[in-house]
Amino acid sequence: MNFTGTILLVDDEPHIRKFVGLILKQLGAPTILEAGNGEEALEIFQLQRPDLVLLDVNMPIMDGLETLKKLKAIDPDCVVVMLTSLANRQTIEDALRLGAANYIRKDTPKEEIAKTLGETIDACFESE
Amino acid sequence: MESSITSLPFDLKGRKILVVDDDRLNIRILAGILRSEGYVLADADSGEKALAAYAKFHPDLVLLDVMMPGIDGFETCRELKKNYGDQCAPVIFITAKNESDDVVEGLGAGGVDYLPKPFKAKEVLARIRSHLQNRMLSEQRKLLVEQLSAADAAKNRFLGMAAHDLRNPLASIRGLTEFLRDGAVGALTADQLDLINTIHGASQSMLDLVNELLDVAIIESGELKLNLAPHNLTELIAKSVSLTNMEAARKRTTVVFTPPATAPILTLDVAKMRQVIDNLLSNAVKYSPPGSTVTVTIQADARVGICSFSVQDQGPGIPEGERDKLFKDFGRLSVQPTGGEKSTGLGLAICRKIVEAHRGTITAENLPTRGCEFRVVLPAHA
Repeated sequence: MNFTGTILLVDDEPHIRKFVGLILKQLGAPTILEAGNGEEALEIFQLQRPDLVLLDVNMPIMDGLETLKKLKAIDPDCVVVMLTSLANRQTIEDALRLGAANYIRKDTPKEEIAKTLGETIDACFESE
Repeated sequence: MESSITSLPFDLKGRKILVVDDDRLNIRILAGILRSEGYVLADADSGEKALAAYAKFHPDLVLLDVMMPGIDGFETCRELKKNYGDQCAPVIFITAKNESDDVVEGLGAGGVDYLPKPFKAKEVLARIRSHLQNRMLSEQRKLLVEQLSAADAAKNRFLGMAAHDLRNPLASIRGLTEFLRDGAVGALTADQLDLINTIHGASQSMLDLVNELLDVAIIESGELKLNLAPHNLTELIAKSVSLTNMEAARKRTTVVFTPPATAPILTLDVAKMRQVIDNLLSNAVKYSPPGSTVTVTIQADARVGICSFSVQDQGPGIPEGERDKLFKDFGRLSVQPTGGEKSTGLGLAICRKIVEAHRGTITAENLPTRGCEFRVVLPAHA
């Protein structure tokens, strides 16, 4: 993976942002922005136009699926990877149908998270 | 308000009794006896009227004369049982003395008892009291069962929610300690590394426990959905064996698996069945002394449509008298893991639930010399 873009990491739990943030840094991501809920995420997205959004599902104020819809309304081509905690098939299916590129289970070991992230980034940004 | 605590098991005052007899005198006599005890009464002088009165009055008990013009008492009773099923109030037949054929037919028609004429007040009241109490007991039992299953469902929801909410922080603790351990934020001294490894181990075992609790909550709430597809059982077992052997090497224990000549293809949920196999193998390693051999075999019998696999260990076996705890939630036995491994007491309970969801069976037998054998039997053409 050789990714030089900006990543927006959205999760209401700071420890998850720290954990996933460290994985992203280890993967070599240069710029990581953080948001604690969907509303914040949309504001930052409008201003900074990150290349990749990592989006939690269960969040206060505005949840992941709602945020995903709004992100896609702003930019239909934006790349969004969902962060889920349980293998909740319905939510995952809904997210993929709404245009999410992939999903990551936060409770899996970091090597697995890194692998899924790396593969998704390779697949989505290959041509660039 | 009178106290709700009485010396009698139940206060039967106000219970409703429907008295059915074409002879008005009998109704009057019975009414006199029953009112003295505080029962509330309704009456009918034919089977047809009794059916209508039952629908309006909803009695707790019915006294029913056998010989009546129109539909007789037996027919009326059958009709009531047909209409109200298990909910139907107990029916006591009124018969003339010594009509033992009537008694037999009445009990066959769904009656619970009979009252011989002429009536003796004490006998009438005693029989009615006992049947009313029976009915109240069974109503109470039904209510208790409903309350218990609601409480059980609430427990599962709570368990699921709690486990779910514990999982993320635990996964973060585990993941962050991995970063520390791997030196992502600088080199650690041996002492620091030791502490970090302890935190990592503890968070890992909590995560395992929470995952198993979640599994139980999901299975118990009836939300276990199998993702069925044809799979090669030999391959599935071989994968699990090679993974388990890496762990088992610590104890110099070996898992030996001789694949059968033809690989059985079974319809199963591959992730769930893998969980069962992993669990049985890791248990076998866990409870066998270091240096043991664990043997895995597949027996496929296409003619009878079943396929089974078994795991034999060299541990102490299942203690007599603890067998029934084996496949139950938190059913930890007195035997201890031989290498300080952890046990939640949920693993085999989850295995049983998964195997049963596949319409299979899981059993355990002690071997003649030492150790025991766990056997999973699955339908071969599910």
